Amino acid sequence: MESSLIPIVTVPEVATVVEIREEIDEVKTFYFNFDRQEIEQAFKIKSGQFIMCTVFGAGEFAVSLPFSPENDRKHISVRRVGKVTAALHELQPGDKIGIRGPFGNGFPFEEIKGKNVIYVAGGIGLIPLRSSIVHVLQHRPEFGRVILVYGARSSRDLMYKESIRVWQATENFETYFTIDRPEPGWNGEVGFVNQLVAKINLPAENTVAFVCGPPVMFNSVIKELKLKGIKEEHIYSTLERHMKCGIGKCQHCAIGRTLVCVDGPVYTYKQIKTLGEQI
Amino acid sequence: MYWLEQSQVEMLLSKLAENYELFGPRRDEVSGEVIFDRLEDLHQLDLSAPIPYNPPKYILFPHYEEILKYRYNRKTKEVAIERINHLKPKALVGLRACDLNGLMCLDRFFLGQEFVDEIYLEHRKKLFLVSNTCVRPFPQCFCVCTDSGPAAREGFDLDLTLAGERYLVEVGSKKGQKMVEELGLKEAGPEAAGWKKKVVDESVSSFDAFAVENKAWISRATNRLTTGFIKPEVWEFIGNQCFECGACSFVCPTCSCFNVEDVNRLDGTTDRVRTWDSCSFEGYTKMAGDHNPRKPVEDRRNKRFFCKLSYSQSKKYLRPGCVGCGRCARVCPGDIGLPNVVTYIRREITGE
Repeated sequence: MESSLIPIVTVPEVATVVEIREEIDEVKTFYFNFDRQEIEQAFKIKSGQFIMCTVFGAGEFAVSLPFSPENDRKHISVRRVGKVTAALHELQPGDKIGIRGPFGNGFPFEEIKGKNVIYVAGGIGLIPLRSSIVHVLQHRPEFGRVILVYGARSSRDLMYKESIRVWQATENFETYFTIDRPEPGWNGEVGFVNQLVAKINLPAENTVAFVCGPPVMFNSVIKELKLKGIKEEHIYSTLERHMKCGIGKCQHCAIGRTLVCVDGPVYTYKQIKTLGEQI
Repeated sequence: MYWLEQSQVEMLLSKLAENYELFGPRRDEVSGEVIFDRLEDLHQLDLSAPIPYNPPKYILFPHYEEILKYRYNRKTKEVAIERINHLKPKALVGLRACDLNGLMCLDRFFLGQEFVDEIYLEHRKKLFLVSNTCVRPFPQCFCVCTDSGPAAREGFDLDLTLAGERYLVEVGSKKGQKMVEELGLKEAGPEAAGWKKKVVDESVSSFDAFAVENKAWISRATNRLTTGFIKPEVWEFIGNQCFECGACSFVCPTCSCFNVEDVNRLDGTTDRVRTWDSCSFEGYTKMAGDHNPRKPVEDRRNKRFFCKLSYSQSKKYLRPGCVGCGRCARVCPGDIGLPNVVTYIRREITGE
């Protein structure tokens, strides 16, 4: 394979895990660098894209990219759910992983300049949105209102607390948080994220919304956003599927007539409605 | 066009065998089945045999294929990744038109979309294809309904049509031209084209004897499938008969879904293998954590027929995804091969 060929299609590129952080229960963030300098230089992503990550000896899995395309450390945040992610969680700094990609279409960026941007996340749904949030905040003057509405089961399940504090320091970044049940020491909202969306004053004109979370949360949030007057074609989400190749060949990620790996993973709600399958 | 005498077939094979591994239809001695297989001996080739029970897709897209081998030493943090290449030139002789069309679907799917599948490409690079016109269709066939036979129109290096006692040879590529010149085949006169047409026309008209039921209904079914007007009850009815065995996918010349697994070997290395998969299997869409967006069998079952018949899938293949070989109908224990599915769709339309 050509050494300069990006995306990495067939043979994974070796990367070193340089730091591991415990984010929340069962979710860890793995910072990595490519071993080959030319790949480290050439590896460029768009927010919303994903990679195929090899845990040597265990297998490969698709994972969304939480880092910004510009000036951000390369990392992935992964929940321990299956065989391969469990093996990933066993790794120590200095261990090697394999990377293919980046793949997928990504979130719009240039097209949404000048607009208000609303991010609505549930639980670890903040992971794929993080990339876009950081990118937008890096270009803060080029956007209208930037709002994050974030809900999780409990305060311990809120992802990226450290990053969020940094973002809140950015001028004009509005944040709203909610947790499912009351907790001692929690002064914020209590309830599901869709209830919080209903409560707050959100712009509808010249606005795009990025939504990511479990399917139940997704549907109820969409309903509220539509009630606020946001158009279906301005609501974006990123979908997840079982994937084996990332390049549109294995067909495991087919939804309706589209393949999540090449036609997605980012879809507008207008598109999602026409797929004719559960999301 | 050129003439190839029956006695010259062996000459063609020997010539090909100099540079290629030979594959073609042969009869299995034990079962009597015709299989598309590696020819150990030139005499095993049977050009008059009925359509083989397996399509030749496994030659380019094997059931089980090691695509990478790696070794990771956790102590020293050393990784060695090796790409496995299978670069043996192969000649496929006696391909039926349906199977050649199937290969072309795979070509367009694996090589013609957003990404090139590098593994398929390795297999595809050095092939010599010799197709064989079906001068008489076989009982399971309906290639006339899917525009993929009985004679090949493109994609071959050489195409053989039995006309009387000898074969008319049509050349489809420079490689093919070189071959007929090296063999010194006799050029056929201008009447040869007419002769071939007569043979093919006769073959087409004999389809009337058994492809009656669904002829002309495949395009209607395509229309229905594409526009999504087939009632859920029809899929439920079809789904209820599905055994989820995956046999239809495995004998289909155009089905190409695969799975990828990393298999650890005793010597400390790991093989990344890709294996055939089928959308009829329940685990096909199951994600880590057991969330499965597709559950009922009918929900999975209609995906395969969507691939074979829908217009959006045809755009990837530049032709219908079904090549009319009839193998799914032959192997399906639930009797829901593609022709029957078209029948059920037809009954829904006509209210029979």
